[in-house]
Amino acid sequence: MSALICEVVYRGIFQKNLASRITRGIVLSARKAGRWGIAFGRYGDSPQRNGIPAKDFAIVADTKEELEQNMARYEPKHVDVTICVDDTLSKGVESWAWYGLQPINKLTVPNGTLLMTSLQSPESLLKDIHKKDAPYKLSLIPAKASFAGLWVYREDHTEVRILGALAKIAPDFLTLDAVSQAIKESEWGSDLKVASAKKAYERIETREIKMTEGNGEIPFSFEMPKWWEMREGVTIPAIPVGKPKEAGKGYVPERNPYFKKYTTRTMRPVIDFDTCVKCNLCWISCPDSVFDVMPDGTFDAAMEACCGCGVCEAVCPVEHCVTMVNEQAFDDNASQWEMWRKDKAAYKTWLGTKIADKKTTVRSHGFRFRGQYDQELKAELDSGGVEITAGIPGENAAHKTV
Amino acid sequence: MADATFSNATQVLEPFRGIKKVTIEEYFTSGHRTCQGCESALIMKLMVKAAGPRTIVLGSTGCMYVANTTYYTTPWVVPWMHTQLGSSGSAALGTAAGLKALMKKGKMKAESINVIAFCGDGGGADMGLNGISATLTHKDYNCLILLYDNESYANTDIQLSGMTPYGANTTFSPPGKVIRNIHTRWKKNMAGMMAAGHPECRYVATVCGSYAVEMMNKVRRALTIGGPTFIHSLDPCPKGWDYDPMLSHEMGELAIETGLFPLYEVEDGVVKYYGKTKALIEGRKRKPVREYLLKQGRFAHFTEEDLGYFQAKVDEMWEKWEIPAVIPFRRLDASKAALEVK
Amino acid sequence: MAVVETKAAQAASEDKELLISGSEAVAEALTLADLDVVTAYPIRPYDTVMQAIAKKISGGQLTAEYIVAEGEHSQFEIVKHASTVGARVFCGSSGVGWAYAMECLVVTPPLRVPMICLVGNRALDDPGAFGVEHNDALFVRDLGWMLCWIDTSQEAFDTTLIAYRVAEDRRVFLPCAISADGAFLTHSQAITMVASKEKVDRFLPRYNRGDLLLHPDNPITVAPQANEDWVIEIRRQNDEAMKRAYTVIEEAYADFRKVFGRGPENPWFEEYMTEDADVILIGMGTISLPMKVGIRNMRAQGKKVGLVRLRWFRPFPTEKIVAALSKAKAIGVVDRNYSFGSPFASGVVANEIRAALYNSDKRPPLLSFISGLGGREVTLEDVYKAADLCYSAATSGKSDARTHWLGVRE
Repeated sequence: MSALICEVVYRGIFQKNLASRITRGIVLSARKAGRWGIAFGRYGDSPQRNGIPAKDFAIVADTKEELEQNMARYEPKHVDVTICVDDTLSKGVESWAWYGLQPINKLTVPNGTLLMTSLQSPESLLKDIHKKDAPYKLSLIPAKASFAGLWVYREDHTEVRILGALAKIAPDFLTLDAVSQAIKESEWGSDLKVASAKKAYERIETREIKMTEGNGEIPFSFEMPKWWEMREGVTIPAIPVGKPKEAGKGYVPERNPYFKKYTTRTMRPVIDFDTCVKCNLCWISCPDSVFDVMPDGTFDAAMEACCGCGVCEAVCPVEHCVTMVNEQAFDDNASQWEMWRKDKAAYKTWLGTKIADKKTTVRSHGFRFRGQYDQELKAELDSGGVEITAGIPGENAAHKTV
Repeated sequence: MADATFSNATQVLEPFRGIKKVTIEEYFTSGHRTCQGCESALIMKLMVKAAGPRTIVLGSTGCMYVANTTYYTTPWVVPWMHTQLGSSGSAALGTAAGLKALMKKGKMKAESINVIAFCGDGGGADMGLNGISATLTHKDYNCLILLYDNESYANTDIQLSGMTPYGANTTFSPPGKVIRNIHTRWKKNMAGMMAAGHPECRYVATVCGSYAVEMMNKVRRALTIGGPTFIHSLDPCPKGWDYDPMLSHEMGELAIETGLFPLYEVEDGVVKYYGKTKALIEGRKRKPVREYLLKQGRFAHFTEEDLGYFQAKVDEMWEKWEIPAVIPFRRLDASKAALEVK
Repeated sequence: MAVVETKAAQAASEDKELLISGSEAVAEALTLADLDVVTAYPIRPYDTVMQAIAKKISGGQLTAEYIVAEGEHSQFEIVKHASTVGARVFCGSSGVGWAYAMECLVVTPPLRVPMICLVGNRALDDPGAFGVEHNDALFVRDLGWMLCWIDTSQEAFDTTLIAYRVAEDRRVFLPCAISADGAFLTHSQAITMVASKEKVDRFLPRYNRGDLLLHPDNPITVAPQANEDWVIEIRRQNDEAMKRAYTVIEEAYADFRKVFGRGPENPWFEEYMTEDADVILIGMGTISLPMKVGIRNMRAQGKKVGLVRLRWFRPFPTEKIVAALSKAKAIGVVDRNYSFGSPFASGVVANEIRAALYNSDKRPPLLSFISGLGGREVTLEDVYKAADLCYSAATSGKSDARTHWLGVRE
């Protein structure tokens, strides 16, 4: 007599279909043993936004009664397995104002499992994953984040590899046979996919995480006001006007303190202040007003506000002046301009190492051209299903080809 | 009693002469929940940057309300208020009328305050059309209505609107095994309709966020000319169109270079093309629409037949329309005219 | 010039007596209240008020932005937004026009917009009919609108001024709809005392939007989209505003009596011959007029019947109405509305009064009547029939659960 509660933490829109396949797969697999289940998305995340962290849930139980206590809910209070399909989410989840920064393992029960697709080592992931007041397990499937777009689905087998791994993690609820059968029966199933699921079952690597391990940062959080503390007329104060950066020079806008948006980011712009021609294009083109104007006329991207769309790189006319680099290569939101101002030589070296690594500069978001996925599928699945392709489409793609 | 100091004058906003001359202050900043690479959020930023601090913005329901302005998740520095989905026209009119009444009667300090109401393609071209149309006939009130067109009800989960392109994949028009294109309507020509149908609306323009300075200068022109004015912005939508967010600007450029979306303004009835559209009018070759369409997941199901149909419709805009890409009127050719007379 | 001024000054300080309809009386009050923005759209019977306002504007007695909208939806949205920048606004409609504006009626209470409307009560389509029914105004009874019903042109004038005083009080900031029965009030003229500008100015302060003013000098974001983390708190605020309205209404009537030397002691309802009444009939609007006549005739025959005419339906004067009714041997509620499938298939007012009495120790038998729908005249016979049925209930001490339809061909 028991229940299995799973959450899938993913990137809005890009991984919407992926998350739905996983949660439905869990319920349909458990059904093979006569269990009951529900699959649903966190209502507050809907309508979803590109990249903004979102959650889907799958709950399976031996009886309908056990299921009921988890129904008519937005979000379970705790989960047995947290499934994360983009390892940059290990820095935490902030999907709404006032949610604060929710650690990726926040809902994971003591001795529960955090299952991630990642090419990183547990050690490097633990630099980002917040400490937990109870031990838990970290299980890894070697794979890059699967960023299929919305209308076009990339068949990189991520969903079946997750299901195969779950059969190892929670055999009492989903046997490998049940999972294989459910995959076969689904409209997107195939023998090859069953094979992938079995491979994941064998290859999943699990490690115990102690309370002492992980990122010591205290996640920011908020105390919600009472009804009589809120201004009437559904009215809130506007954002104050900004000020010069320093000594009357430059400009830094005020920013909303209740929603920072940086957990939406999978890649961040790395800026070469020495080659910046001060054309203003990144600053004017940023939908999130991220670029602070520095006294010297260059622009510093405010990392707490940047959601990593990459428009700044696309519009920048100078090669390698703005380069999008995967979030996994960073451990904080510190100002690049201040780092550069402090020690230009050291910054140059730091910048060089960041943008030289093809693994961290390749983009995999969304649909780019017809036939793209067919090409990428040629890649061998264990590498994450996507070969590291060079070249970034965009205004100056030609220059950007590595 | 009337306040002698009151006049219905507008703020005089000279065009920004180049990107270096653009005001440094932000009146729309970080804190919204829109998608990565959201062009509509960019349009909001540029819109108020162009309008300046003495501005009131009204926003009808849509992405720029739900994602862009969530409770305590506001990016707005200037005063902002929600209005109902079909109410951008009434919101602009009501706000302008309230200010005018109070200033005229000396109940409020007389000054020129910009009033801008925005709507999405659903709120503007579908539900709110009658209200916008009425407002554009009230020549005594200074207000700008800006339609940000991301070509679907992107907020509610990407359902098709009267502005969704032919054949596009939306949650209300999924391509199926039996019917490839459920959605076979051609999108409305909003700017043309507004300009043609409202003789006393002095300024109508089309803009695209990929050309930020031009866009801001159109907003400044509209606010300076005064009376009710209308601007239609085409906003690439990485979520609904399905492309890499970093390509938002490229999508905007392609929409213009393929001739799909013309950039022009109609001031006191005179049509002026500008930017890359001007080049097309002056004979530069239009890029084939497939270069634009095939970069977007929403058209991934298109066959050569669909692409051909799409191209033909765009060619028509440029080759058959009396005022190319602006108004779909044609003149009877002489021989046919003669027959008509008989 | 000086002469003119003194004349003007005199006029400003003088009351005048006019033969005007309820709609015109409202227009007189709006002129004295120095209305700022008004929007019109035609539908019978409320639109007589907009015709009267248009005359005031073209005649120069009233300076206001007068906008003819392209539909009720815009009509109500325009004044809603004008109010948020600090303008005193007026609007109104009838029947299905009010229904067409419904989306905009829904948003005004949470936005705390003190919009005053005249609802010329009209039957809902179909069939298209101009006659009175109260269902139109009652659409908004649960949404945070203050609702009152009037029965004379004089009350139309007085209540308009009181409504602004209450709605624009910062403790309240809620919209208020004044209901006037179609035809009987909107289209018939009566002698009405129109007060002087000087008195009105003493009674009615200028509208001050305060911390909710939408203006560059008060940068705020109004009505952002909210999720389940916020909505119930926002509803609770509205609940509190409606509760505060009880006090504010009492204050407003007290001041009104001081300044104008008239007006009821009890703002909430009119009691007619109820002191010693065995049977009390209850109604809203002009239905009171045939009832009063009928009551006088019945009293001549020794039947002790009285009338309670409800003025304020929202906020609902629960304690006061219970106190007034529980002393009777039987009560009969005559509704000029319907609520198909409701408890006992009664009208709306009957069920509200049933609910109000539920916790009272003394609950007289309650009979419910539906009458005068679609503008059908309520006759003396109808009143007698209602009273007689109440009398038999008074003797039996029981009320039959049936709802009686009066004046319907059977």
